[in-house]
This record gives sequence, C-alpha cells and structure tokens, in this order.
Amino acid sequence: MAEPSVRRRFVPTLLPAGLLVLALILPGRMFSRDQSADVVGLGPAAWPGAMLLALAVLSAIWVARDLWALRRPGSEPLLAPVREEEPYAMGKALAGLVMIVVYGWLLSVIGFALASALFIAGWCVFGGVRNPLVLVPVTLIGTVALLWLFMGLALMPLPRGQGVFDGFSIWLLQLTGIY
Amino acid sequence: MGAFELLGGGFAAAFQLWPFLTIVTGLLVGVVAGALPGISFVNAMAMALPFTYVMSPTQSMLFLGGIYVGGVFGGSISAIMINVPGTPASLPATWDGYAMTKRGEVKRALAIAVTASATGGLVSALMLAFLSAPFASFALKFSQPEFFAATVLGLASVIAIAKDRPLVTLVSLVLGIVVGTVGVDPLYGQARFSFGVPEMESGIRFVVVMIGLFAIGEVVDLLATDRNLRPKTEGGKQIGAKLADILGVKGAILRGTGIGCLIGMIPGAGATPGAVIAYGVEKQVSRRGAEFGTGVEAGLAAPEAAKNATTGAAMVPLLTLGIPGSAATAIMLAAMMLHGVNPGPLLFIMDPTMVYTIFAAMIIANVLMIGAGIGVAQLFSTLMRTPPAILAAFIIVLSVIGAYGVRNNIFDVWVCLAFGVLGWGMKRIGFPSAPLVLGVILGPLAERYFLTSLANSQQDWTVFVTRPISATILALAGVFVLWSLWPGLAGRLLRRRTRAT
Amino acid sequence: MTETRMNAAASGRMASTRRAGAALAAIALSLTAGTAQAQDYPERPIEMVVTFGPGGGADLMGRTMAQLLEEPLGVSIPVSNVAGASGNAGLTRLRTNPADGYTIGTLISLTVASWASGLGDNAPEDFRVISVVQSSPSFLFVPASSPHQSAEALFEHAKTNPVTVATSGYGTQDDVTLKLLADAGITMENVPFQAPAERYASPIGGHTMAIYEEPGDVAQFIEAGQLVPLVVFAAERHPAFPDVPTSAELGVDISGLDNYRSIAVPSGTPEDRVAILEDAVAQAVQSEEWQAFCEKTYTCIEPVTGEAAQAMVGDFRDLIAEQLSQ
Repeated sequence: MAEPSVRRRFVPTLLPAGLLVLALILPGRMFSRDQSADVVGLGPAAWPGAMLLALAVLSAIWVARDLWALRRPGSEPLLAPVREEEPYAMGKALAGLVMIVVYGWLLSVIGFALASALFIAGWCVFGGVRNPLVLVPVTLIGTVALLWLFMGLALMPLPRGQGVFDGFSIWLLQLTGIY
Repeated sequence: MGAFELLGGGFAAAFQLWPFLTIVTGLLVGVVAGALPGISFVNAMAMALPFTYVMSPTQSMLFLGGIYVGGVFGGSISAIMINVPGTPASLPATWDGYAMTKRGEVKRALAIAVTASATGGLVSALMLAFLSAPFASFALKFSQPEFFAATVLGLASVIAIAKDRPLVTLVSLVLGIVVGTVGVDPLYGQARFSFGVPEMESGIRFVVVMIGLFAIGEVVDLLATDRNLRPKTEGGKQIGAKLADILGVKGAILRGTGIGCLIGMIPGAGATPGAVIAYGVEKQVSRRGAEFGTGVEAGLAAPEAAKNATTGAAMVPLLTLGIPGSAATAIMLAAMMLHGVNPGPLLFIMDPTMVYTIFAAMIIANVLMIGAGIGVAQLFSTLMRTPPAILAAFIIVLSVIGAYGVRNNIFDVWVCLAFGVLGWGMKRIGFPSAPLVLGVILGPLAERYFLTSLANSQQDWTVFVTRPISATILALAGVFVLWSLWPGLAGRLLRRRTRAT
Repeated sequence: MTETRMNAAASGRMASTRRAGAALAAIALSLTAGTAQAQDYPERPIEMVVTFGPGGGADLMGRTMAQLLEEPLGVSIPVSNVAGASGNAGLTRLRTNPADGYTIGTLISLTVASWASGLGDNAPEDFRVISVVQSSPSFLFVPASSPHQSAEALFEHAKTNPVTVATSGYGTQDDVTLKLLADAGITMENVPFQAPAERYASPIGGHTMAIYEEPGDVAQFIEAGQLVPLVVFAAERHPAFPDVPTSAELGVDISGLDNYRSIAVPSGTPEDRVAILEDAVAQAVQSEEWQAFCEKTYTCIEPVTGEAAQAMVGDFRDLIAEQLSQ
C-alpha cells in the first residue's frame, strides 16, 4: 500500500528531471546552420545559453531535493498533484484534448468553417448537449455568426482549407455574402 | 492658450454627437473583445484599423482610444468570471478575482475591478492632459539600461507574488524565458531553436502561449468535472458591492495607479508588467499580504488600477514624441500616419485641437467605462447560463481565432494548442503556469535591453550600476526579492537555531 | 517572356496591331481567350499580405496601396499583417497560397537582406515582383544638440573617439554600411535597436550619437528639427535634401543599399493576372494620394517592373551576402 503511493507522489519529480535533460541537450541544438566565428558582443547564443544553464541548475536542485525528501519519512516532494473538489473524469479530459488537437489539424485541411462546425457539434454532443433542436441551430448559426464577424467584418483571412475544401469555403463565403 | 482652455475646447469637440458616439462604440467594442477569451484588445484594434480609413484622423483616434481603454479592462471580466484572462494584463485578476467569484462574490469583485480600472485610467488620462510635456522629457532620460532594470524589477515581482515555493516559481519563470528565445534573435538576425522548421523562425508570441495555457486548460477541466459557470449565490442572494468595499481598497488603487503611470511610459513594457509589479508591491505593503490569492480585495484592486493606468501613460511618448511604446500605440500611430498626421512635438503646435480632443476622449472613455463594464458583465453573466458544453466549444473556437489573429498564421494556432495540452498537464501536477507566461513576456525584453545596453557602452558590464536611475531600480528589485523571501528564510533559520540549542 | 507579358498587358485595352500575316488568326484567338479570362479576374477579395506588424513602413505602404488598388481592380483588398522572422513568415504565406492572383504581398529590401544571413526558406525565384513602388537611400542623422553638425566633423571625431550609431541590427544594410565606413578608416560603433521606436528615441534622448535611417521613417523628427541629416549613402544627392552631401563627395563611395518596397505575387501566377495587377499598381502610383504619400515619406520613384524588378531582388541578396561574408 505504501510503496505505490510513494511512487505516485513522486510522479511530479519527472518534470524537473525532464527539464534538466532538456536544458542539457538544447544548447547544442540552438542553431540549425553554422554560425560565423567573429561576432560583435556576446552573440546570439549568450542569452538562451545562460537561461538554459540556469534552468539546468534549478532543475538539478529540485531533483536533488525531491530525492532527499524520498529518503526522509514525513518529507514531501515540492509539487503535489492538485486535489479536485469534484470527481475528475480523466478519460473525458483526454478525449477533449484529442478533439482540440484534431480540430487544430483539421483547420488547415478542411478550412475554418467546416472544422469549427464539426468541432462545435462534436464538443456539444460529447459534453451532454444532444437535443438536435439545440445542437443544429447552435452549430449552424454559431459558425455563420463567427464567419460573418471575423471574416466579413474584421476581414481576417481565416484558413479556407485545401483543394476542394478551398472551393467549398469560397462558395460558402459567397453564399453568405462575405465575399 | 492654457491647458485648461484647450482641454475645454477638447471636451466641447468630443461631446458633439458623432465623436461621442465614436467613443462609446469603441469602448463597447473594446470591452466585449477584451472579455471574449482569446481575443485581446490588440487583436481588436488591428481588426478595427480598416474602419478608421473612412474616419477623420481625430475620429479614428477616438475610436481606437475607446477600444484601448475598454479592452484593457474587458479582459478582467472573463478573468474574474471564468478564470480565463481575456488579455495578458488581466492575469493577476484571476488570482484574487476568481477566488472571490468562487466564494459567490462575483458582483463585488467586478465592482471593485471596474472602479479600480476606471480610477487608474482616469488619473493617467489627466496626467496625459496636464503633464505630457514634463513626463515626455523625463521618459527620454530613460535608455536601455533603465529599461533592462525595470524588466528585472518585473521578473523580481514574479518571484515575489508567487503562491508556490520560490524554486518552483523560478523554474517556471526561467522555462518561460527559454520559450521566449525561440525564433529570430533581436540583434543578430539569427534563428534560434528553429530545428530546421522555417515556421519556428517566427518565434513564440506570449499571447499565443497565454491563450493556450489558460483558456484550453480551463475548458478541458470544465468538461471533466461537470462544473457549471453559473454565478454562484450564497443563501439565495448574490453578494453585491457596497461603497465601503471600494473605500476599503483606496490605498491599493492609489498605489496601483502610481505604478501603472510610471511603468506605462517605458516602451515595450505595457499593461502586463505594470499589473504584475503592482500586485507584487501590494502583496508586500498590505497587512493581508500573506492571504493574497485567496480572494483579497486589495489584491484585485491594485493590478486592475495599474493596468488601466498604463493606457494614458503609454500615449505620452506616442503623442509628444511620436514614439509608440507598445503594440496598441503602434496601431494608433499607423492610424494617424495613414491619414498623413505625424504625431510628435509639432502636433501640439500644428493641431492642438486634435491633441486635446484625444485627451478629452480618454477622460470621457474612462468615466463611461464604469457603465460599459457593468453592462457587459451583466451580458456575460446571462451568457454563463447557457450549458457549459456550448460555452466551452465557443471558447475554444474563439481562442483559435485569437491565436490565429495575432499574426494571421496557422502555425500560431498549433503552438497555442500545444501549450494548451501542456498547460493542462501542468495544472494536473500543480506546476504554476503564470510565471511561465510572464517569462515569455519579459524574457525577450530583458535580452534585447541587456544586449543593446552592452553594445552602447563598449561591452562594459558596469553600465547597469553606474547609471543612477538604473542602479536605483535594480537595488529596488533586489530589496523586493529579499523582502518577499524573508519570512520563509527567517522561519527556516529560526527552526534550525531552536533545533541546535 | 517579356514579349508575352506585354501582349497580355495590352489585351485588356487594345488589340496588338504589331503582328500581322498568317499568325493573325491565332493571335486573335489567344487574345479573346485572354480577355475572357481577364474579365473574370478578380471576382472576389484579394488578400494583401503585409509582412510586418501594423505601424511600420511596410504596413503603411501595404495599406495605402491596398486602398488605392480597390478602385482599379473593383474588389475589396483586405490587409492581413503576417509578421515574424524579418518578414519571412509573411512571404511563406504568400508563397504557399495558391498562385491565382488572389494573394499579393509586400516584399521589402530588409527581408531580402535577411535571406543573405540565412533566414527563412524563401528565394527570389519564389516570387514574381509586380512592381517596386518605393525606394529611399539611408542617411546618417545626428540630434540637433550634437556638437558635430556636419559629416566631416563627425567622421573626424570618429577617427579618434568612439561614435555610437543606432541601427536596426547586425547583418543588415545598416551593418554593411558601417563596415564599409570602417574599411575607409571611419570606425563607428553599431548599436542595434530591434524596436524602431527605441531606435528613434535613442539619439533624441542623447543616448547614441547618431542614427542610420531612411528619412521617411523619421520624417516627423526631421520636420521638428530634432534630427539633422549629415550624409546620404547614394550615388546622387536626394532631391528633398539638396544640401546634404553624398558619402562619395566625402571620399567614401557607398551606394546601392537603398531601402525599397515592392508588391509581389507567388511565382507561377498566370501572366494575364500579373498584367492586370501591374496595370492597377501603375494606376495607383499615378494617383494624387500615392504621390502625396510617397512625398511625405521621401520614397517617390519611377516604379520598376518586370525583369528589372526581378533582377533588383536577386542582385540585392547577392550584394548583401557578398558584403557580409567579407
């Protein structure tokens, strides 16, 4: 009983450990092309180099402190996972994150209008709004209102998608009188 | 003609039907845009720019000025009501403002926020009207070492205001500074951390990071916990605001206003560092400093006053010197120049009517803001009654539009979503995200001020301590950090000593 | 190449009468096809990609041009600011949008110079320059309070004392100019300011001794007498500043580093559409508004189009690369 809970408690220590590794690797990967040797002043690498060094030192202290805490009973690691006041549906949260990432990817492929309509509808269904009399108007009116406000009024060039979707977006924009 | 007569003329011009309507429209657009999560007032001003083509130069400034004043406040509405800062400057409003909302005191929190903001804005608008000239020459005395020192003061306040342990805060802050170094460096034009991806050369903008960390994390939590956003009530009745609440925080409002007025004049700094420094100072000064973050009125009032106090102050260098200090004032400069008007010392001589109409408009906008702010907040609390899933979906879409609108670049949307996923994970393990955002904002400023200072002094590192103003600010930052860390350190020393004896 | 373009340009207005004989029928056919295509372009808004944020020289040019192009083209031209990576982020957007004439953008010398130091993945071949519409040489300015009110005095002072010059960065035209001056024995310290506003404030506040800038960007300070032009880096004196000597007159010949701004489309855009755009830009530049605008920013030039414009971009990149590698 005690063993797994100790392990769980130290999951947050993975963060400084990861940051330490990152801070040690990144200085070598700062530039993707050769730098000329003679620069005036400190050069472009000085500031990020110094900050990565600071990050490495601070994360190392953190890891050391947490390992020290591990050996002493009654000591706690620096970070403790938050306790929610209400039950937290982890699966639902992860699915939500996936939906958001997919939405971001779809934006450039099928365009803002289609992707947003799909996303709004999907999120509502997933979040418990399933009555079609609510869902359909919210999705359609919402999307058209957003299009009209941001592409029509604010003249933002939101992504129209690629290939056939570009054609569809142009048709939609002409239909709604924005183009 | 004295300043009073000129300002009187300005008021007469601003109270004509069309100019007045323009101010009101701008103000409303600003408050609504600022309050929408994702859409910041800079976004809104850039979108409004084409509308100013058809206006007269003065009218376009009234419109943009209204959006500016309203937008800087508007961000606090969503910060207080749903814990999502509408603009970066409203970040501190989430700490004590949202805590008050959770207690069912949303109306009180909003009333304090809008009064503090309007007071800060009004004082700085009056300063703009009467003290522009002396303040402008004072601002010119500041150079890169002073800007660097002020940025260090901002970074020091981030450590001072932390609720978490200093080490955790520092790691988050430094991580933010590292994130801010991605992209083309400010002096040498070299791409850093682009990993061969051309899009990465554009760098990571702080607004994009903020939208991702705050809006998306909050929305996912909303989905996972079945929480609703309906304003909470206590005993069937919401706790309203009383005049005594406002009077109780007048000290905090005054201190915040003073800090905002000073920070606002520094180019590049703007509203966010002003609000953060004001929060840090207030936490040290206030008797209830240790309770900050749990819904203390002064902790809400001080940064609110400071961020709106930067609006008038930021226009001092724009109008008197023709030098815009922030993204918002750069858009105002663009609007003026598109009309063939060059701001600067000559504007005061050539067209004092225009200048004083703008001054009058800034004063009017700040007074009207109390009404506009409360009205829009009412509208929002009605919106909060819709099912949380629908609200959440639109918050995400607006966040995506906001991230895209920063530079009309789809890559920024992906960065925003990546930080959204990251921010959600950080929240799960209790790693603070506010210092990270502030690191992304202040880091790039610190770097370029530091390197330019050295370039301007033959690489002499002592320049920061040999210039009196810069040395004073740096000393202040040092004192600030020690002062805020002292209780913890003293406690530990005391414990050790008792153990030894 | 040029021939076809000229043909296309003429197609909208008058039939080309230069050709005769057996080819006439074929030409007539191609002309009607061209006209038919020309008539359905443009039929929806054209996006103007400004490669820098609101408020700068490129933004003012892009917005002014967009406004003036709306009338000849008959559609609205919304401006989108795509800032980042010295203008390369915007150019990437321009390049990757369909080459159908519905995306046009600003291409300026600063971005071309950034290619020489390895930024971005854009190249001159990726773009078809419609027209170079603005160009201005740069000057050295000193504040009105400076003890060195002539270029000779400043250069003389620089030979024995440190002189600081506010510039836009290392590896830019500014840097190249200062390096060329140093080669001639006039050493000045390059003090880069990324933010234009801070760059202008530094000499006025007395924090740097001089500033390297094109006059249009500091017009309000020149008019107010806060900045005094000392020397122009061009082959000839600037008509707006007839009393300011060229660097060649002072013994250091530095020219060809002018700041220019152009309107470009992705390469591969149909020739007839390029021709329509070129025609519209030419009309816009003739307008009173544009003339007033370019006069105020000291950037009036006779627009450069076609092959010459294309060559201007390629040559400029090579010139900067050559100077920086020395």
